[in-house]
Amino acid sequence: MPTKILVVDDEPDLELMISQKFRKQVRDKELQFDFVKSGVEALNKLQANGETDVVLTDINMPEMDGLTLLARLGEQYPLIKSVIVSAYGDMSNIRTALNRGAFDFVTKPIDFNDLEITLKKTIQEALTFKQAVKDRDQLLAIQQELEVARKIQQSIVPRKFPAFPERKEFDLYAEMIPAKDVGGDFYDFFLIDDERLGFVIGDVSGKGVPAALFMAVSKTLLKATALKGAPPEECLQQINRILHLESVSAMFVTIFYGILNTRTGEVDYCNGGHNPPYIFRAGGGIEMSESTGGLVLGAMRNTAYKAKKMALQAGDGVFLYTDGVTEAMNRNNEQFTEERLEEKLKAGRDTTLPKIVSHVIEAVKAFSNGAPQADDITILALRYLGKS
Amino acid sequence: MEITQTKHGDILVIGPKGKLDANTSKMFEDCLIPLIDQGHKKILADFAQLDYISSAGLRVLLLAARKLSEGGGKIALCSLKPSIKTVFDIAGFSTVFPIFATQQDAITDFTK
Repeated sequence: MPTKILVVDDEPDLELMISQKFRKQVRDKELQFDFVKSGVEALNKLQANGETDVVLTDINMPEMDGLTLLARLGEQYPLIKSVIVSAYGDMSNIRTALNRGAFDFVTKPIDFNDLEITLKKTIQEALTFKQAVKDRDQLLAIQQELEVARKIQQSIVPRKFPAFPERKEFDLYAEMIPAKDVGGDFYDFFLIDDERLGFVIGDVSGKGVPAALFMAVSKTLLKATALKGAPPEECLQQINRILHLESVSAMFVTIFYGILNTRTGEVDYCNGGHNPPYIFRAGGGIEMSESTGGLVLGAMRNTAYKAKKMALQAGDGVFLYTDGVTEAMNRNNEQFTEERLEEKLKAGRDTTLPKIVSHVIEAVKAFSNGAPQADDITILALRYLGKS
Repeated sequence: MEITQTKHGDILVIGPKGKLDANTSKMFEDCLIPLIDQGHKKILADFAQLDYISSAGLRVLLLAARKLSEGGGKIALCSLKPSIKTVFDIAGFSTVFPIFATQQDAITDFTK
């Protein structure tokens, strides 16, 4: 598409001379010139056909002069670059024109070699400017899509609490704060049958859109498999095989999956490479759940997983988290660490689950002290309240 | 990040320094994977100078291991600081990668 230049001048000769000088560029469709005789005509022309890159305008014209036109261009067509044509030595008008946003000027009588160089430079500027605006618009569109993706992702993890208001044997609370617009963390919980509650936390390697897609697949697979009632180690084994097929460029996910027997308080769990959750006892103790030695999921096709058991008494709870909590950094590159997390858990264990979770999140924020959040932060807390 | 490369016979020793996190892991990947594509079959990642590794760093190691095993190659690790070893233990990677206490132990094992 040729670059479009609008020439505004009341001298009839100019059209002839410009057409002559630039005939090759016009013939090769590099440039296209339109000619009008006043500022008013110029604005009418632009309104009828806004696709103009550069305006070349005289200063002294009937109806509307070049300086007034410049002011209008700046208001209505900020993407158009303009060059003014002025009498030699008329510094005060040239100053005014430049102050009103003219990109450059040429003087009369016009030196056509100088005009060619000036136009070339101005066109370059106009095109660069146009491209920058186009790039910005595209980025804005991508950002808006990411915002939509973020909302979708936030909506695929359960967010309604209390989640099971009719169940008096347990309480649950969770929060997820992605570092970028979309993240690779997830949590989930669901009743497998009247007696068993499945709960899970996971963390996909990496961040952003690829991690979010892998996260969505992992979460859906886990729930679909878990709802069939299989024990945790079998669930992880099955979804590991499927995720391994889906794992592009060695992406993987850590998953802790537990099943609470709401009648006995016993939890069967299997840990596939995830940070070991904490057990907080009603009596005040904090324990790290024992490792089951499992590998992250999606890494190797044939990996065996083992399950372990933990026994919860009425009032005991489980605190699951992703490494965005313990590896949150402050401005000195120090990490929040397990030690700080344990301290916060000990201090806040007597209160409600939402308070325990927000207590930890506040502590991480205070520790980071304004340093940017590098990783997704996700917490799921569960408390066994005893048989009703 | 700085990544040193030294050769011991046909063993290529790669030494990343500092932190392998979401930002630096891309650099580590861009360094390591082309070396495998060029035909290096024995790679030793020496983590003596490594202070931190995130899941993004683990992913690059896994990718390297997959590529190497396709071509009959092998990757081993050595000189892990305790905090790095803990990350490997939690992720279950200690059972997947051969890990040696010193570079010499690893080289001896490669040449067995």
